[in-house]
Amino acid sequence: MSDPLILALPSKGRLKEQCEAWLESAGYRLETSGSGRGYTAVLKGAPGITVQLLSAGSIAAALDAGDVHLGVTGEDLLRERSEDIDARVMLLRPLGFGSADVVVAAPEAWIDVDTMADVDEVAHDYLARTGGRLRVATKYTILTRTFFAAHGVVDYRIVPSAGATEGAPAAGSAELIVDITTTGTTLTANNLKILKDGIILKSQANLAASLTAIWSSAQKSGAAAILSKDEQAGLVAQLDR
Amino acid sequence: MRCEDPVPAPALDAIRAPLAALNATLSDPPVIQPLNLMLDLAGEAMRARLFVVQDEGGREACLRPDFTVAIAREHFRSGGASGRYRYEGRAFRVAPAGALDSHPEEFLQVGVEVFGEPASPGADAEILGAAWRAACAGGRGDLSLRLGDVALFGAVLSSLDVAPEVAGRLVRALGRPRQLSVLLQRAGRDAALDAQEARIAGLPRDAAMAAIEAIWAQKDLEPIGGRGAAEIAERLAAKAFAARSPRLTAAQLKTIDRYLALSGAPQDVLSDVKTLTGGAAAQAALESWAGRLAGFRQAGVDLTRATLNTRFSRAFGYYDGFLFEVLSASLPADAPLAAGGRYDGLTERLGGMTSSAVGCMVRPARVWMETGR
Repeated sequence: MSDPLILALPSKGRLKEQCEAWLESAGYRLETSGSGRGYTAVLKGAPGITVQLLSAGSIAAALDAGDVHLGVTGEDLLRERSEDIDARVMLLRPLGFGSADVVVAAPEAWIDVDTMADVDEVAHDYLARTGGRLRVATKYTILTRTFFAAHGVVDYRIVPSAGATEGAPAAGSAELIVDITTTGTTLTANNLKILKDGIILKSQANLAASLTAIWSSAQKSGAAAILSKDEQAGLVAQLDR
Repeated sequence: MRCEDPVPAPALDAIRAPLAALNATLSDPPVIQPLNLMLDLAGEAMRARLFVVQDEGGREACLRPDFTVAIAREHFRSGGASGRYRYEGRAFRVAPAGALDSHPEEFLQVGVEVFGEPASPGADAEILGAAWRAACAGGRGDLSLRLGDVALFGAVLSSLDVAPEVAGRLVRALGRPRQLSVLLQRAGRDAALDAQEARIAGLPRDAAMAAIEAIWAQKDLEPIGGRGAAEIAERLAAKAFAARSPRLTAAQLKTIDRYLALSGAPQDVLSDVKTLTGGAAAQAALESWAGRLAGFRQAGVDLTRATLNTRFSRAFGYYDGFLFEVLSASLPADAPLAAGGRYDGLTERLGGMTSSAVGCMVRPARVWMETGR
């Protein structure tokens, strides 16, 4: 038997449930092999496909590295891999779940700051006054760097943050944050506000294909089980370029 | 990691000789440099070009992306008022995506940095002359010299009576074309204040601070983020002042655009600048340039190969005065054989005393590349 097409799906949480619902609406059922804790699965109804269950972050990495052919993960996680991710991963279809915005948030107490242009001015004043740069706490260092550069903001520093980013300004370890938010309530509870032009990315779960993976012709045609005709044609055109 | 081919010893000797003749102490600064310092000086955008290393405790440092900061730190540690340093060693930069062989990630760099000697056209010519001769030592016949001057832009803005805070930001954005055009657009418009901001901006300072604190109390806001009511009140007052008078007039904008379009033979560009503004600051800067060009000629630089470009600056550089790079027609424009200039402001930012500083670096593998084969 030829090598199967590898599809990576989220291994836990709400994203996993939503993925299963999406697959079921397409006529497939996810069956984990062996015990319920298995990390591989099969798609009942699609024999040529092997499913790998991974965390959403690992799926983004595996698509980037070419370890899997297809995967479902957040656009934010893919874009955070690299500025030129589009050369290595093709986003095929937004799936309508896992929605969240990556935003720039500033202290609500800064009543004079509403836009990135305000941030630029404040950052410049801060550098001139203190000799230090305004600090932005985030786990999205690449998205932040690209967005701030596009808005011409240079007088800032990124403070890498592994978790509880929204608490950084109150704790005094940063002045601004770039973080993911769905309703904004966590930001409000932490005395932060989203800048008017501070939405970096409206992210949601996407079906995506790796352009760096090795695709046999059997795997290319096997993708038809999941993809629409147009999506498959678009993917093959990209792979053959 | 992409490395470069070694340069044969005789070729390296020839390239090194003009720098060695500058009577500078050979210095060997650490390969590993503090990451925070580098990012504070060059900005967050530099991070993508740095090789970051971590020790077991997770503390971060970076491999030196060039020698300027490393040598400057050595100089200030020594405590001397002035010093001349020569270096020769490897530097490390992550190549941008899609970069060619002309951008190895580990490369040999030789150069000289001079601190605390009086800034003069002659001092600039000494450094540029040595770099030019080193670049010529590889035997390439297709070299050109690109000149720029960050301080000349500042002098022109000052001659046009542009407000100092606006001028300072424009000068610092010179090496970043996109940011510069954003700033120019923004500075030509009125600053907009919403009703609440306008009300506060109209109050005396103490009353404005009280009004801001009242808003915080009313909305139950924690004053996080390190900016107090005083700073917010000050910024609103400054914004209101700017709103009454646009930060750049249409006439100023037009002259700035014309200045930034100038590029060509140094003499021609300088006489064009002279017709743009008669201000004292610009005239003084132009006089320095006359002396500099004379010095370059004396140092053996072929000025028919030189262009002066008013937009020329470096995004990650520390240069705040005259700067240059030596290019070859057979190498990409972003792969200079040699580069350097004046960076008097760096010393203060490194926490030292204010001190003049000028230097240059040469990339032997680029100087030699084709001629040796």
